[in-house]
Amino acid sequence: MVDGGAEKENCEMTPYEVFQLLVFPGLTLLFVLAFFYEWIDRKFFARLQNRYGPLYTGPFGLFQPVADFVKLLGKEDIVPLACDKLVFALTPIFYFALPLTALFVVPISESTGLIAFEGDLIFVMFIFTMLVVTVFLAGWSSASRFGIIGGVRAALEMLSYEIPLGLAMVGPAIAAGSLSISAIANWQSSHLVWSIFLQPIGFAVLIVGLLAELEFVPFDIPEADTEIVAGWRTEFSGRKLALFKVGRDLELVLASAIVAALYLGGAQALGPIPAIVSFLIKTVIVVLLLTFLRAVFARFRIDQMTAGMWKYLLPIAIFQIVLIQFGIGR
Amino acid sequence: MKMGYASTIRVPFGPQHPALKEPENFIFEVDGDIVVGVTPRLGYVHRGAEKAFEIRTYVQNIYLAERVCGICSHAHTTCYVQAVEDILGAQVPPRAKYIRTIIAELERLHSHSLWVGIAAHEVGFDTLFMYTWRDREAIMSLLEEISGNRVHYAMNTIGGVRRDITSEGASKIRSTLDAFEKRTKEYAKIMQTERTFLKRAQGVGILKKQDAIDLGAVGPTLRGSGVKNDVRAGDPYAAYGEIPFEVISHEGCDVLCRTIVRCEEMLQSIDMVRFALDHIPTGDLRVKVPPAVSAGEAVSRVEAPRGELMHYAKSNGTTKVERYKIRSPTLANIPALCKTLIGSHIADIPLILAGIDPCFSCMDRMAFIDSKTNERWIWSMEELKRKTVK
Repeated sequence: MVDGGAEKENCEMTPYEVFQLLVFPGLTLLFVLAFFYEWIDRKFFARLQNRYGPLYTGPFGLFQPVADFVKLLGKEDIVPLACDKLVFALTPIFYFALPLTALFVVPISESTGLIAFEGDLIFVMFIFTMLVVTVFLAGWSSASRFGIIGGVRAALEMLSYEIPLGLAMVGPAIAAGSLSISAIANWQSSHLVWSIFLQPIGFAVLIVGLLAELEFVPFDIPEADTEIVAGWRTEFSGRKLALFKVGRDLELVLASAIVAALYLGGAQALGPIPAIVSFLIKTVIVVLLLTFLRAVFARFRIDQMTAGMWKYLLPIAIFQIVLIQFGIGR
Repeated sequence: MKMGYASTIRVPFGPQHPALKEPENFIFEVDGDIVVGVTPRLGYVHRGAEKAFEIRTYVQNIYLAERVCGICSHAHTTCYVQAVEDILGAQVPPRAKYIRTIIAELERLHSHSLWVGIAAHEVGFDTLFMYTWRDREAIMSLLEEISGNRVHYAMNTIGGVRRDITSEGASKIRSTLDAFEKRTKEYAKIMQTERTFLKRAQGVGILKKQDAIDLGAVGPTLRGSGVKNDVRAGDPYAAYGEIPFEVISHEGCDVLCRTIVRCEEMLQSIDMVRFALDHIPTGDLRVKVPPAVSAGEAVSRVEAPRGELMHYAKSNGTTKVERYKIRSPTLANIPALCKTLIGSHIADIPLILAGIDPCFSCMDRMAFIDSKTNERWIWSMEELKRKTVK
């Protein structure tokens, strides 16, 4: 619809806002960050293992994730005969779009997110859950034994880590008295203290929960390559796999951005340092932490993981909330 | 796909599967997450090795035996030349025996070190996998310096060995082993203390002592079930009779104990190589043997890194062997493996499978048996060619 004053009246976006949505800190920046963080993750993981990691594409192999993405886009897209075609085609798009959507509510280049609103923390939690539902559907729709086992494992994992993860995200919200991520971040900067120092237990629980959410070792059970090939992703190829891969990268950005916003003071300008730089430093530190953790463990079995989450992580998360209720850490 | 309620589903592992480094097929009958039945389907990498032995001369067969396995190549040649030397009645010079022993133990070192890496990889512990394989390279380079080759050392020949270990080489071995020993101790400690690895390995893949004996398990699989059985000690060959060592075994019967057995064997191998280097006698490297072997038959046994390896040779007085048979340790471990897998979780299958250190291409032999009539038959070379080259 090119024409119409009515269109202009309804759509009150200024060119600057369009720029914000599409370029900075919107889509373009998010894609750049997604590929950049995948590179950090791969490079650091490789260096921890005494390997080189990405090396050839671009300086220090910086463009390797982009190259992989483009290569996958050009590959043959095989659809199994037995699969549920509609779900099979839709899940990659959802998996890619969900974290992207959630990233708009998280503060990146200024102290509030692009479309921040009261209650967006709940929205992000919902996105985290929907991601796993998408994973389950993807595995289930592919009608492959490995896919189904992977999908079921993903759902089982979610049932065990979702509550501790939610509690860990609620902790700073209680302290700040708001369910808006931007408000929580701003509360930390106005009180000159980061939640990580007030609620260290909650921070640890959040990191463990995010390791599970991102399917990183020791919780990479749904896609354990030596056990069930590629798990829920086994049957996906070509463009669909490319979308899953970039979706995973965006999820990593989202996870690190959430940790930064809730526990590390968010995108807060520190003196001469602009907000975006402070955001980058904090999220890169979170990515390095997640990568380090995934390098030093072996994989749990699904029953061990479920039992461990309910037996240890959930009580610890509840303990943190109880502490906050008693006025410690707020 | 037909799926009933409360029924079992069949999960295929292989012939192409990331947990298997070689093509072999296992079909698991799975009830929920628990394995209730295993059907191994062997033979995907059958290479007609035994037939190939019969159409080559004895000297050519050394190179063929070397290529039975890509890891324990020295074990296979040792076993082969021992069988032929046995028929010939050839007396191998003592220095050659010591060199065979040193190479065999170095081979055990890199083979076990490879296994430690694979076991770690199977449970998602890729960091340990990368580290062990990096350090394994030191042993491979060492073998390359001694023999000229990383994998197929070609050290053995009928009647002795082909290359000497110089004093320079010996000091190189010693210094490499010093560094390797430190690393191995470190990795052994990690595998016995890292909680996530213990959770996956402890109490997993139980093979009881009696089962292990009854099902004819061999090597570290058997010793991990508390049976002190080692060809090196029980039926000493090469220079093993002169090197003091004790057979390592553990009573735990699980994958963790197989790991510990292998780690301790590595440390023991290092000591054995040091002892052999200190006590290596001087003298010839080989004796001359005739190209034709008089009629006779012999069985030769070697403790390969994976367990007891057995070769059988039957000669007829010509330059070619009449019948040759290889029984590799992996084949001996398959019945025990199937027993171990039943009752395990799907997630534990790769680790248990890897626990016997399978080497499928060494294992695959073929025999034709009609399971209904129990009738057996043999294909001639011409028939084989006709049926394969199509």
